[in-house]
Amino acid sequence: MAVTLAMTLLRRLEGPQTLGRGPAFWTAFALVVAAAIAYPWFADGYTVGNTAYFFCWVFMALGLCLIWGYGGALSFGQTAFFGLSGYAYGVLTLNVGAAYGFTLAALVLAVALSAVMAALLGYFLFFGRIGGVFLGIITLSVTLALERFMAQTAGPEWKIGAARLNGYNGMSGMPPLTVPWFDGDVVLFPDVALYYGLLALLIVVYLALRILVNARFGNVLVAIRENPERAEMLGYDVRRYQLAAFVIGSALAGLSGTLYTAWGQYITPSSMGLTAAALPVIWVAVGGRGDLTATLIGTLLVLGGFQALTIYGSQYALVVMGLLLVVVVLAAPDGLVVAGLRGLGRLRRRETGR
Amino acid sequence: MIPLLETRALSKHFGGLHVTNDVNFALAPGEIHCLIGPNGAGKSTFFRLLLGEYTPERGQILYAGEDITALKPFARIRRGMSVKFQVPGIFPSLSVAHNLEIALQHHLEGASLGAEIRRLLAFLNLTAAASDRAGNLSHGQKQWLEIGMAISLKPRLLLLDEPTAGMSPDETFATGEMVQALNRDGVAVLAIEHDMAFVRQIAQRVTVLHVGRIFAQGTTDAIIADERVAAIYLGEADAPPLRSVADA
Amino acid sequence: MDLLTHAFTFLYQIGDAFSFLVLSACGLAVVFGMMGVINLAHGELIMCGAYVTAASTRAGLPLPLGILAGALAAGAVGMVMERLVIRHLYGRPLDTIVATWGISLAATQGTLILLGSSMPGIGTPLGSFTVGGYSYSTYRVVLMVAAVAVLAGLYLAFNATRFGTLARATIQVPHMAEALGVDTRTVYALTFGLGAALAGLAGGLYAPTMTIVPTMGTTFIMEAFVTVVVGGADIFLGTAPAALVLGTVRALLTTWQGQLFGQIGLLVAVILVIRVLPRGISGLILRERA
Repeated sequence: MAVTLAMTLLRRLEGPQTLGRGPAFWTAFALVVAAAIAYPWFADGYTVGNTAYFFCWVFMALGLCLIWGYGGALSFGQTAFFGLSGYAYGVLTLNVGAAYGFTLAALVLAVALSAVMAALLGYFLFFGRIGGVFLGIITLSVTLALERFMAQTAGPEWKIGAARLNGYNGMSGMPPLTVPWFDGDVVLFPDVALYYGLLALLIVVYLALRILVNARFGNVLVAIRENPERAEMLGYDVRRYQLAAFVIGSALAGLSGTLYTAWGQYITPSSMGLTAAALPVIWVAVGGRGDLTATLIGTLLVLGGFQALTIYGSQYALVVMGLLLVVVVLAAPDGLVVAGLRGLGRLRRRETGR
Repeated sequence: MIPLLETRALSKHFGGLHVTNDVNFALAPGEIHCLIGPNGAGKSTFFRLLLGEYTPERGQILYAGEDITALKPFARIRRGMSVKFQVPGIFPSLSVAHNLEIALQHHLEGASLGAEIRRLLAFLNLTAAASDRAGNLSHGQKQWLEIGMAISLKPRLLLLDEPTAGMSPDETFATGEMVQALNRDGVAVLAIEHDMAFVRQIAQRVTVLHVGRIFAQGTTDAIIADERVAAIYLGEADAPPLRSVADA
Repeated sequence: MDLLTHAFTFLYQIGDAFSFLVLSACGLAVVFGMMGVINLAHGELIMCGAYVTAASTRAGLPLPLGILAGALAAGAVGMVMERLVIRHLYGRPLDTIVATWGISLAATQGTLILLGSSMPGIGTPLGSFTVGGYSYSTYRVVLMVAAVAVLAGLYLAFNATRFGTLARATIQVPHMAEALGVDTRTVYALTFGLGAALAGLAGGLYAPTMTIVPTMGTTFIMEAFVTVVVGGADIFLGTAPAALVLGTVRALLTTWQGQLFGQIGLLVAVILVIRVLPRGISGLILRERA
């Protein structure tokens, strides 16, 4: 019975809602994973740690891809949950410490907190029949209000237990993820061990999302995106599906926030500011919001590009990002990566004469 | 025999406009019933009330004897209602087959799901277009696809809002035959229509709505012969008190 | 402090909040209410107006002319924005949000690069007056009058001028307006330009009271959006009463808990109002179809 369940799940790795199928795709996938595993042997510790940093953000992008690309709801709340979970992790671990693997429990709790808050906010939004631009505005307002609130927590009276919130300066000094091990805990500083941990988590989440969107849930979700009235008239409770997608996507944003905080051992209100809130939208829009793989590739590309710009041309990075967003929306609304993959597909067909 | 669908004193107004005014309506199980009336009579509003998209100010809606007035649309659909709207309501960027799959996956899966999709595609004459983007279909094909999705739910009551709008006479006739085929399987049909040829082809009973009230009700022949009905289409008659034409 | 002074302070704060909300939101309300376009670069248009006003006033122009210059500059920028970007995205509201956000990002950063992290400000004119031993800024009262004047002016513009009638017709039933010979594209461009000019006007009016920095747009934008969303699509039956209600909420919370809680309370009020009145206040008044 478990075997049939596993077979059903595996079959869902491919489907109408994801690009990439067949032996060609999965071979390429395996090659990429192999390259990623081998990567630390060829790169220095700093670069590996930096790549791990990029991985932290991808979860938030995948979450937005689910909510916006598949569900059709543009939520600006990703950075709110990013910050919420980040601060939650900080508060928990600064109070309790890293012993007995508590940091892992704190990770789970922080993500769960985001999921719960997303369920509450989502209930208000979707069961209140709020959608479209209003959803975007309200989620943006929530994010900004959270940022403003955290920014004014500078005084010593603003603390939870032993953890001071510290206003604009943010919270720091929390322990990184620490895995309990027999002869000494493994502390996951931004280095090879953390890299492998995040890589594994990323692969698991990516595959799990592929299964989710190709399953019946995903079918209904895209139906809601295409024509919510018709979806309801086929007997689906549209609100529940939208809420579920919102909770999952927001929890992923919380995961990003927690990992980021554990990676750098700090979290500040600016990670919830207006500029920060724009970044996931840029990654997902540039990559291709309608597809998980496109979002994944696009996010890593834009993150790398943004960092390169910041190092070499510091001030212009944000200008380029802003203009990139405008250009993509006008010229390639399905995303650059998607357009690129489609172009490749057309080239292949022409070459094989089909 | 309990009516399959019944409304009692159903009323809805927007501002000062009574779009649905004290409507008492009944539909028997397995009946084909057409709803006609001049533009602005309130036919589409009545549909949306039946489906739960609008909330009435007064009155009740009963389905197979159960009061469904407070139920949300998806709950009504699950009880056996299904609808095809005037403007084709399909999923435009998904394929035709995928559209049907989403409708069918409620109660089917795996091999039987695939088989039923193929059967419906053949029934709707859309087998060749199965992997095309639904948004690229012609208008008539979109209408048929939506009808296909509506009937794939195996409803007891099918609501059709101007199903033949924009169709050629041949397509209209084919739609009529399809409706009758469904009816032989026991599906009751309530259709808003303007095309009198279609009404004549399929309807067993006809209700005429005029400024939100039931103006006349009876068999197809009796309604079509009624001069007052023609008059309201030409704008000559004011809304009279409720009268019903004697059944033939 | 006696009751009258309390009351005056309270009224002053409501008026202050009301005028801030009305002035920051009316440009957005014109564009969103009439055209359904969400412009996330609205804050940057306000910033543009403020910068131009500050620069021209420092260059010697009297303040009222400086404010006018700010409004016109923002209006021009808005029309360029409409021509290049917005025009291609009608009917795609979410994409409009994303694109205008990109513009906002580029504009804020671009201003920072070109003009530095702040510009010398212009002082608040007209000094202050005292009531019951407390002093209040006279200029802020001028702003309250300005807010009412802008509302009145807009009302006249849309209901009593030919342009206003054309604009309303074009936006409600574009193909009919086209059939009657109206150049709808120009009407859209001008309407968007008007919204942008109103934003610039707000920026110019508030420039004397704020530090001129590239990120000043963000001070306005959240509150402007909140007002427009709570108000609904109609400016006079929506934005104005919404500004009054929200202004009162803001004033109450600011008095009780301080500036920041005023802003947060506004947000909470918005979420509640949207839940209860999906079409905003104007929807309630007009009893729009759900």
